Amino acid sequence: MDLSTLIDTLVAAWPLLWNGLQMTVYVTVISLIVAMPLGIVTCLMNLSKFRVLRGIAKFYIWIIRGTPMLVQGFYIYFAVPQIIQALIMPDFRIDVVTASLITLILNAGAYTSEIFRGAIQSVPDGQTEASRSLGVSHVKTMQKIVLPQAIRICLPSLVNQCIITLKDSTIMYALGLPEVMNQARVYVGRTMDSFATYTWVAVIFLVIISVLMLASSALEKRMRA
Amino acid sequence: MDKNEIKIHVEGLKKNFGDNHVLRGIDIDIHAGEVVCVIGPSGSGKSTFLRCLNRLEEATEGVITIDGESITDPKADVDKIRQHVGMVFQQFNLFPHYTVKRNVMFAPVELKLKTKEEAEAKAVQLLERVGLADKIDAKPRSLSGGQQQRVAIARALAMDPDIMLFDEPTSALDPEMVGEVLDVMRELAQQGMTMVVVTHEMGFAREVADRVIFVDEGVIQEEGTPAEVMGNPQNPRTKSFLSKVL
Repeated sequence: MDLSTLIDTLVAAWPLLWNGLQMTVYVTVISLIVAMPLGIVTCLMNLSKFRVLRGIAKFYIWIIRGTPMLVQGFYIYFAVPQIIQALIMPDFRIDVVTASLITLILNAGAYTSEIFRGAIQSVPDGQTEASRSLGVSHVKTMQKIVLPQAIRICLPSLVNQCIITLKDSTIMYALGLPEVMNQARVYVGRTMDSFATYTWVAVIFLVIISVLMLASSALEKRMRA
Repeated sequence: MDKNEIKIHVEGLKKNFGDNHVLRGIDIDIHAGEVVCVIGPSGSGKSTFLRCLNRLEEATEGVITIDGESITDPKADVDKIRQHVGMVFQQFNLFPHYTVKRNVMFAPVELKLKTKEEAEAKAVQLLERVGLADKIDAKPRSLSGGQQQRVAIARALAMDPDIMLFDEPTSALDPEMVGEVLDVMRELAQQGMTMVVVTHEMGFAREVADRVIFVDEGVIQEEGTPAEVMGNPQNPRTKSFLSKVL
């Protein structure tokens, strides 16, 4: 196994891997875009003074944290449609991209809400008291004093969550989502070229995630200045 | 200014944290322009008393009125009352993501009491007054404790308060920085600000206070002029406390 065979494999597998990569990036980006607001809303519900809202938020986070993502994916793709078909809509169907998106969104939403909660709670009470003692309302204090500081605090964890969601998207392979891993598997099925193909899959993830990490440390530096 | 005008009226103030009865019935009237220093051992309830005055702590029982307006009333417009009651904290609590100038401008601008330009002019003037004209664009983190506390005083003054509450303003400072903060407070007192100061600085209390109140076990044990309370204490608790700190 030398470098030239590795490169030959990349060239031969690239059309499939590129397809898969596009799907991987698509589900990851969409999931994160929807998960951030979902995380903020869940976090605010969790910190709310209304017990019902807190209960809903805690229940949701409990379910997501307490079950494997693969089980959630199968549940949403196979189990939920069966129930809906039996009870409400006999011809209900859900496609694999939608099921994967819902799974990834629910996961990332629950985890980002915990990230936001930790960050908001780590802003010292003195900050809120100083602002409130000047006569500034609770909402304005949240907007101008607490949240800006909380976002700085949780930025590294948010980037980390982006990386986790990107990697988690490969689990949707098991539902048949045509993402990178799925497409690599298709190529290996034809050629039996496991070593080179999976090496490239790993390299692709390493490259994307390294770029994300560099961007996040640059951003952190700028925020700290 | 009418020296007889009652700025702060406290009647039967009690505060419990669970089973812990921190304040057990405090009554006091504080008049316009008066400087009241609150002294007492730690855990005596003096900070809690101060924090009840602007309702950072909810009173369990009792009535507090600020300029005749009840702040303990559940329907009270607390934000409105707080706008003319400044507070300075032991830990400064400057906003770390804002420059010194924006810290001072923050409340008047957010509350739309001043335009940005007016608030900025006022901030510069206040920062000159506390001796920090050269730090207006600095971030709080780069300042010493004494400088941060002077910014915090300027931030409170930016709302044009007529009452200022100080919660152990020099307790978190290195000894060499205590003087610069007390100087600012002394000047404020001379200009006729109504002040309630929780402090361990006995020298400051003796020199600046019109009245000293000694709080222990959640009640006012003794009160009077600094000469009376600190020079000739009657209550055994006061005597014992002063013998430890003087």
